Amino acid sequence: MSQTNNIVFKGLKIIAWIIFVGLCIEAGGLIVNFVFSLYQPEFVENLYQTLDLSEMYNRNKWAFFGMYSFILTIAFLKAYLFYIVIKLVTKIDLTKPFNSDVSKQILQLSYYTLSIGLFSYIARRTAKNLEHHGYALDTLNEFWADSQAFILMAAVIYVIATIFSKGVEYQEELEETV
Amino acid sequence: MGIIVNMDVMMAKRKMSLNELSETVNISLANLSKLKTGKVKAIRFSTLNAVCNALDCQPGDLLEHSKDETS
Repeated sequence: MSQTNNIVFKGLKIIAWIIFVGLCIEAGGLIVNFVFSLYQPEFVENLYQTLDLSEMYNRNKWAFFGMYSFILTIAFLKAYLFYIVIKLVTKIDLTKPFNSDVSKQILQLSYYTLSIGLFSYIARRTAKNLEHHGYALDTLNEFWADSQAFILMAAVIYVIATIFSKGVEYQEELEETV
Repeated sequence: MGIIVNMDVMMAKRKMSLNELSETVNISLANLSKLKTGKVKAIRFSTLNAVCNALDCQPGDLLEHSKDETS
C-alpha cells in the first residue's frame, strides 16, 4: 500500500468519525425536540434544533407524527450509514481488499443510501402536499433537500458493490488454484 | 466435480512421498495436499507440467473424468 493511500485512508477515517458523531448528535437532538414538542412545546425554542411543529400537532396529529417519523428515520439512517462507512474504512485491508465482508458492507451502504434517498423523496412530496393544505413546512426542507443525490449515489455504490463482489469471486477462485 | 485426481495412485506407483514431491516441484505441502485430495478449483499448466515431470507420467495418469458426478 502506498504512502498516499495510507494518508488518505487515515483522513477518511477521521472525517467519517467526525460526520458520524455529528449525525448522532443531530439524531439525538431531534429526539429531544420530538419529546419536548409533545410534552413542553413552549421549551422547544431553547433547544439545539428549534424545530417547532406544535402548530401542526394541534391541527393534525397524524401529519405531525408522520413528518417527525420521516425526519427521525432519515436522521437515524444517515447516522447508521456513516457507522457502516467507519466499519468499512477500519476493516478494509488495502493489501488484500477483496473479501466477502467488505463486499457485503459496500452492498449495505448502497441499500441504506437508497433508503435515505427514497425516504427523503417521499417525505419531500408529502411535505409539499401538506403545504397545499396550509401548513408552513419551509423549515423542514433542509432534512430532505438532497434526495436525488442520495438515489444517484446509491446507484453508483451498487455498481461498485457488484464489481467488487465479482472481484471477490475471482480472488477466491485464484486462491483455490494450485 | 467430475474430475478425479489420481495423484496418490501415481505417487504410490513411483514410491514418492508428498514431502519429496513438494520439494521436487517446488509447491507448498499444503497446496499439494489440497491438489491430491481434489479440494482445488483449478490447476495451472505449469503445476501440471512440474508434477508430470516429477512423477514421470502423463496428465491423463493424474486426472480422470467421471460422468456421474456433475458441477
